[in-house]
Amino acid sequence: MIWGKRTTSILLGVSFTLLQLSANAQSYVGKGVKLSLFSSTPVEDIRAVNVKGTAVLVGNTREIVVQAPIKGFEFDRKLMQEHFNENYMESDKYPMAKFKGMIDQVIDFTKNGEYDITASGKLNVHGVDKMRSIQGKVIVKDGAIQILTEFKVPCADHKIKIPILIITKVAEVISIKVDGKLNLAK
Amino acid sequence: MKKTGLLAIVLSCFLMNAQAQKADSLLKTLDSNNGSTEVEAVFKSTRVVLSQSTETQKKHDLDLRIRHHFGDIGGRFGSSHTLYGLDVASDLFIGFDYGITDDFTVGIGRSKQDELFNFSGKYKLLKQKSDGGMPVNLTLFAQMGWIARSPFSESEFSSYANRFSYFIQPIFSRKFSSRLSLEVLPALLMRKNTTESRDPENLFSIGFAGRMKLSKRLSFVADYTLVNGLSRPTDLSQAYFNPLGVGLEIETGGHIFSLNFMNSEYILENNFIPGTKKSWQDGGVRFGFTISRNFTLFKSKNKDPDKTSKIY
Repeated sequence: MIWGKRTTSILLGVSFTLLQLSANAQSYVGKGVKLSLFSSTPVEDIRAVNVKGTAVLVGNTREIVVQAPIKGFEFDRKLMQEHFNENYMESDKYPMAKFKGMIDQVIDFTKNGEYDITASGKLNVHGVDKMRSIQGKVIVKDGAIQILTEFKVPCADHKIKIPILIITKVAEVISIKVDGKLNLAK
Repeated sequence: MKKTGLLAIVLSCFLMNAQAQKADSLLKTLDSNNGSTEVEAVFKSTRVVLSQSTETQKKHDLDLRIRHHFGDIGGRFGSSHTLYGLDVASDLFIGFDYGITDDFTVGIGRSKQDELFNFSGKYKLLKQKSDGGMPVNLTLFAQMGWIARSPFSESEFSSYANRFSYFIQPIFSRKFSSRLSLEVLPALLMRKNTTESRDPENLFSIGFAGRMKLSKRLSFVADYTLVNGLSRPTDLSQAYFNPLGVGLEIETGGHIFSLNFMNSEYILENNFIPGTKKSWQDGGVRFGFTISRNFTLFKSKNKDPDKTSKIY
């Protein structure tokens, strides 16, 4: 096989262009993303927290993924935690909750600042996908990104059944707060 | 020249791949080191039917447990004259189990049979891990029984120590799937109040128990204890049978209702293992139920506002 000088230089050119592109396509990853769960009824308030979430943000495509293991939610009362996993979330069957979508706004992730955003995509909880548009905030500071959001999840949307016996204790719509810090992926 | 060309191809392919790198693959690299977790809720309750399960009470949770065994459904003592045993209470039990830690539970209770008071301790020693690092659960159970009734004959409790019995039981269980959990319970019962000289005071037994989940809140439970013929002769003048129980267990957030059928008249290990005189044949089977209710006694010291739950 004989290579023309031209071919080689084209290939090299392509390589460098791609190298350039990939440098722009900065991705951010975060571990220990904190998810707070809040259920409120006139009879009982229930809170739980999960610090085992992970998140990924791809700079050039504005793709964002946040996920958390259901078993990572910690309740004050362990029996409540067991019921949460066994009776409501079926975490053996559906171990993860996941949001995968795109940030609707164009953001310069290299510039410090606070940006109000909406992210549209699929929220998967209890094995059921639901298209959602979720409002949140992105804070860029010195190359690190903080994502903040608070949104509501109706149990019925995800086929999570609450028995009539305890409908006074467990809210039909659960609030979820997410707070995570993402750093540049190496 | 040729080499540079190849290098250029390899390089561009590599970069092309890097470009196609998706959020998902990045996520995978983050999640790869998710540690193994302990398998939870091997059984719903601390009891299966008659036998103990490997479960203990959660920390600071108090379980009030009321159990009732009715009379024979069929046979000489059953049938419509006793409304299939419902007129008779062959044993009643009221007891409390309290979780000192998530792994250590203490219990106290009282049965109608022999006016038996029981004091028990239960400790979770090994816990099954989801990654297979630990394949089974091991819980140790020990229970002392104290017979409080007056003696039937003058010689019966000639020594006061004869009123006491001691029961030791390691329990091995495994959750095979989210639906099926099985356990094996070898045990030793040391007692004094035997009626026959050939009936050993130290009684070995081995139990088998299981739970099959039918739905999220409803399970089928069963247990069988092999005791006669193991370390005890089967030709004693009083015929004894091996206890076998089956039932349904219904759980509704803090309450557990268990509806069972079994041949054992008695509720506590110290009574039903040595004393089951009824058989599943000839109508000796009876209905029984448990009502169990969990109370959280102390508010957790944990001041994390994200985790505080509040009952108004």
